[in-house]
Amino acid sequence: MTENLYVNNSKEIYEAIVIGSGISGGWAAKEFCERGFKTLMIERGRVVEHKKDYIGENKAPWQQPLRTKVDNLLVKQQHQVQQQCYAFTDATKHFFGNDQDLPYTTKKGTNFTWIRANQLGGKSLLWHRQSYRWGEYDFKANKSDGYGNDWPIRYKDIDKWYSHVEKHAGISGSLDNLENLPDGEFLPPFEMNSPEKVLQAKFAELYPDRPLIMGRTAHLTKPTQLHLSQGRVQCQARNECQAGCSFGGYFSTQSSTLPAAAATNNLHIAPNSVVHSLIYDEGSNRIKGVRVIDNNDLSEREYFAKVIFVCASTIGSTQILMNSTSKKFPNGIANSSGVLGHYLMDHNYNAGASGEIEGYQDEIDKGRRPTGLIMPNFYYKPDTKRGFLRGYALAGSAYREGWQSLQHQDGLGVDFKNKLKQAGKWRFGLYAQGEMLPRFENQMRLHPTLKDKWGIPQIEFDCRFSDNETNMMLDAAEQAKKMLKAAGLANVSSSVSHGPPGLAIHELGTARMGRDPKTSILNAYNQSHDIPNLFVTDGASFCSSAVQNPSLTFMALTVRAVDYCVKELKEKRI
Amino acid sequence: MEKAQKEENTIRNESRRKFVRGLTMLVGSTAATAFLSAKSLSVAMAHSFESGSSLIADTLSDGKIFKLSQLKQLKNICAIVIPKTDTLGAAEVNTHGFIDNQLFHCYDKAEQDKTRRLLALIDEVAHQHFSLSFIALSKAQQFELLTELDLGKNRFGDKQRADFKSLKQLICFGYYTSEVGASQELRYLAVPGGYKGSIPYKDSDASWGSQGLMY
Repeated sequence: MTENLYVNNSKEIYEAIVIGSGISGGWAAKEFCERGFKTLMIERGRVVEHKKDYIGENKAPWQQPLRTKVDNLLVKQQHQVQQQCYAFTDATKHFFGNDQDLPYTTKKGTNFTWIRANQLGGKSLLWHRQSYRWGEYDFKANKSDGYGNDWPIRYKDIDKWYSHVEKHAGISGSLDNLENLPDGEFLPPFEMNSPEKVLQAKFAELYPDRPLIMGRTAHLTKPTQLHLSQGRVQCQARNECQAGCSFGGYFSTQSSTLPAAAATNNLHIAPNSVVHSLIYDEGSNRIKGVRVIDNNDLSEREYFAKVIFVCASTIGSTQILMNSTSKKFPNGIANSSGVLGHYLMDHNYNAGASGEIEGYQDEIDKGRRPTGLIMPNFYYKPDTKRGFLRGYALAGSAYREGWQSLQHQDGLGVDFKNKLKQAGKWRFGLYAQGEMLPRFENQMRLHPTLKDKWGIPQIEFDCRFSDNETNMMLDAAEQAKKMLKAAGLANVSSSVSHGPPGLAIHELGTARMGRDPKTSILNAYNQSHDIPNLFVTDGASFCSSAVQNPSLTFMALTVRAVDYCVKELKEKRI
Repeated sequence: MEKAQKEENTIRNESRRKFVRGLTMLVGSTAATAFLSAKSLSVAMAHSFESGSSLIADTLSDGKIFKLSQLKQLKNICAIVIPKTDTLGAAEVNTHGFIDNQLFHCYDKAEQDKTRRLLALIDEVAHQHFSLSFIALSKAQQFELLTELDLGKNRFGDKQRADFKSLKQLICFGYYTSEVGASQELRYLAVPGGYKGSIPYKDSDASWGSQGLMY
């Protein structure tokens, strides 16, 4: 490891700067470092060291002052927005941003939840770890129905890069041989419990085109030598991942990409460095470096490099580009097309159904599986008769009810206590994760007057789900209900909610890739059309959202972009 | 707390031992030693044991929300809802103190007032019906009164019934997240070691008290 991993002031001209240390930034840094590039990773937040800084890890509820809940006052003062995330608990709260320091606005009549994880590792510490390849139809979706621009890549362009990241990260899953959800380099899948196995078989019989499979997830079900050499061991099925995992059971920057990058001696990290803007040299048409504001004392400093990878999260990356203005780029750097900030997307989780499963009273599962099952999008082939475009996946798992469900029953005393002691009925549900169309009007922009404490203009969101997404959710609730009933579940109920975008925490778009520099920011390799040494490889680069959780594709696009960038540098085209 | 002291407390702690034991079984003793000697893990675990119990009122003085008399009444209610059996009940693990602390820190004033009003109502009905305060009633009388409240019968309506269900929920939460409730009444697996889809289960078996990050 580099003697002084962390830097503050540095006059060095690095070969590569990577802005951000989350899933994309971690991969970019690892790939550059392993290719021998002196790399500076810039992180706006504090250092979080693997194991040592997982202060909420392995605490039983009775060891937490408020038994996993967070104090009202703290929530009110610092986490009104962040507490909306399902993973916000006493054991994880220190990995979420302080809303006081991170203000944003939404256009009147719209709403957007922006979850922040500003520390080394970013949201890789907090993610849900579901890892799916995109299929051929996903890359063609925009072209086939005309919403958004055509992706400049196809599945064959990214296939081997998926393999590359899967082997290192460790993705568990079953080989399912599905047309639009390609198999990968998988570790063994997690087991299904008995009702799930039976449901899988029933669905296969009733709906042959709607397979139910084990969720594919970035957990080490059976670590390889490579994973063990990273200092990681088998996932222990605690399902307390977002508190941090000292076993390295799931992929995070800390568990996986950072140790690999640091082992090369080529990595430096500048923590507490909030990127204000990129430093542009019009004469050479190159980015020279970045201007940062110190997270703590608000002083200003600069870092320099030959090539810049922006991996600061979808909204964060675009915010940096927008705030980097010059004579040539008055509306944000690399924005000659004018589409920067537009086509913002998220996923839609607003529908589901669940019911009871009779029987299986003589068995229970053991351990807390960190994933559920998934019924991948069965609407991946375009069909104009459906009443909406694109599709959704359905996810869920079977479990036996515990005291949380049974406590609502009537009763007191010994009988009540004995009832709550026992496991109750099995339940199973299917919950939607729907695609959101890329629309020009869904956007983020810099607020004309409001700034944050680092002097950076605040973001204003203007984003909403359209009728297409609403209609899709109505269909999802209906289909889920119908399928559960057909499979023999009892007391099936479904629901549709109307939560705003943002809370899926799958923000995508706003600096999209494309073939045409007039209508897109980045080319097929995540490289700016306008400025050759500028790359954006996180979710900002997406042309559509597909249905799949996007993180695995962040990884694959990032490593592919680094590979291309290194070749271009060698050919002296950058 | 000084760091050395913290470390010492940590080493004494049963849950940490379980965690380390799980780790040892997992990676073998040599590897576990190496894993732990990196110091990082023990540092991470050192934060684990600032128990909240010292912050919590028992029935010796006023609490944060409840007066002493209300805490005593609540303790009696806890004992009726989840009594002592082979394992301790809700009153023995100070669920009433937990509720006082939890209502203060995690609930709004409306919820706090609602709970106080419910306690007053229970006492009022006890006086009307038995001419005694709730805590002076026999266990059987307390059980009868709370059963009527739980069902919304006789002197109680749906609104009171719903309020009592909320209180019952707090009692259950407090009890099943306590060490006794989660790890003696139920079964607690800090480090399951992996996921098994199916193991045998009899009606006499306890369910899992360990549920991950969220309860």
